[in-house]
Amino acid sequence: MNKEIIKFTDASIGYGKTAILSGINLSIIENDFIGIVGPNGAGKTTLLKTLLGNIKLISGKISRESLRFGYVPQRDTVQPLLPYTVFDVVMMGRYSLSGPFKGINAEDKRIVEESLSYIGMSDLKDKNYNSLSGGQRQRTLIARALAVGPSVLILDEPTNGMDTPSHYSLLDLISRLHDEKNLTIFLVSHLLTDVANIVKKVILLDQNYFQFGPIEEILSEENLKKTYSTDFHVSQSDGEYIITPKHMKKL
Amino acid sequence: METVHQLIELFPYAIAGSILAGIICSFLGIFIVSQRVVFLGAVLTQVAIAGVAFSFLHVIHIETFIASLLGTTIKEDSLLHNFEPAFYSLLFALSTVIVFSQTHRQKTLTQDGILGIIFVVAIAVRIMFIQKSPIADVSEVESILKGDILFISQTEFFTLAAILVFTVSIFALFQKQLKFVTFDAESASAHGINSKMWLLIFYLVVGTGISLTTRFVGDVFAFAYLIIPASIGILVSKKVKNVFLISVLVGAIVPPISIYIAFKFDFSSGPTAVVTAFVLFLVVYLGKKLKG
Repeated sequence: MNKEIIKFTDASIGYGKTAILSGINLSIIENDFIGIVGPNGAGKTTLLKTLLGNIKLISGKISRESLRFGYVPQRDTVQPLLPYTVFDVVMMGRYSLSGPFKGINAEDKRIVEESLSYIGMSDLKDKNYNSLSGGQRQRTLIARALAVGPSVLILDEPTNGMDTPSHYSLLDLISRLHDEKNLTIFLVSHLLTDVANIVKKVILLDQNYFQFGPIEEILSEENLKKTYSTDFHVSQSDGEYIITPKHMKKL
Repeated sequence: METVHQLIELFPYAIAGSILAGIICSFLGIFIVSQRVVFLGAVLTQVAIAGVAFSFLHVIHIETFIASLLGTTIKEDSLLHNFEPAFYSLLFALSTVIVFSQTHRQKTLTQDGILGIIFVVAIAVRIMFIQKSPIADVSEVESILKGDILFISQTEFFTLAAILVFTVSIFALFQKQLKFVTFDAESASAHGINSKMWLLIFYLVVGTGISLTTRFVGDVFAFAYLIIPASIGILVSKKVKNVFLISVLVGAIVPPISIYIAFKFDFSSGPTAVVTAFVLFLVVYLGKKLKG
């Protein structure tokens, strides 16, 4: 049986003294694959930052195994003016693992090469990061997170603004990472159908509303209506979930 | 050649100092431009000048205070005597960067808005400080405040050399942390790097470099050399290493050439250095456009 690696007990999260979400009870086990969904401003980013330890709990308790996190930000937040190569960007993943005065060693280079190879970007390692397509940039940021050697991978809206082939290819890569590398994955997305079809459990949240559990329990039409204040239609076709707002169904 | 000999004979420290000032500004400028905080550069130059103007009021006589601590007296033109303007310039600039580094926490004002407020207040208080300064001639005070490349002294030259060594050492020693937080502070934090602390260190080093350099070479020169060489470097280079190389080369070569032009055609050295750098920028920009 997989062991528990993160546990929130009666936790309140937010900024300063203002709680966005209260009464969070959450138990994450090794190799969990969790989607985080909710409307804009629901507290998804706050939850992630709390998970990473960048924001302190307002109240309650969080216990964590000594975990190493790999973080993949929304790629639009990373738009460098300097011509960093793909290799440079992925190497940054190694920077947090050595002290200020230590240089980059052969082992760091090997791990960066390995991460690039795994996500199929070895051929582009000398390319300027700015010259890449959206999908390639996102893969580079995933390789950087892998270079950390993480046990938990956190992806924030990884498929935002991508064309359809890149979108599905990236979701496929994320699934592979979970299966082959045994990573515990948190995937933040506003695309409910994607989340339902890729993850095993889901956190559904809005301000002061929090649900956590298996997909089939949490992503019900009733829960979605409570969260988004809109009627949703949840159905399955060929074993795949299709979740659409009801007004779209009429169209 | 005769003009060059004359210049070297008359202003050896000005020429060497202009090279150092150009290198310091162009090096820091790469981070300022790539971080998209160009306005911070403008603000720091104005704040530094306000600090120098404040020192003329002698509200707290730092030199006497330090001299009493050291059990010595102040001699005219001693290093200590020149300390007060640099001290206040640095104090004002570092206070500004500490405020700026915290601005990302609040959501009601933009960073640009906060910098804009500091910018106009710095100019306003400078005028007020000058009005209350014991030095009678306002234009004389203004010229002292603004600095002049041609009047870089031996002491100022060595101070600039120390600033350069300090700046480059910090960026060399902590290049991994500074590179990551200036590239993507959010991910650096997520990966266990204390982004807040490293960004504060980054801004403190930038503030120190800009404030002291502005004191010696003037705000126009300092601001221009923060922006123009870095922009040229970014325009023409395809590798980060080359951005640094080209920016620093431009920062080192253009100022002495400008001093020559200013001397030959009887212009002020600071503005000439700015225009010369701008002409170079224009040539590079148009060349790149024509090349497609």
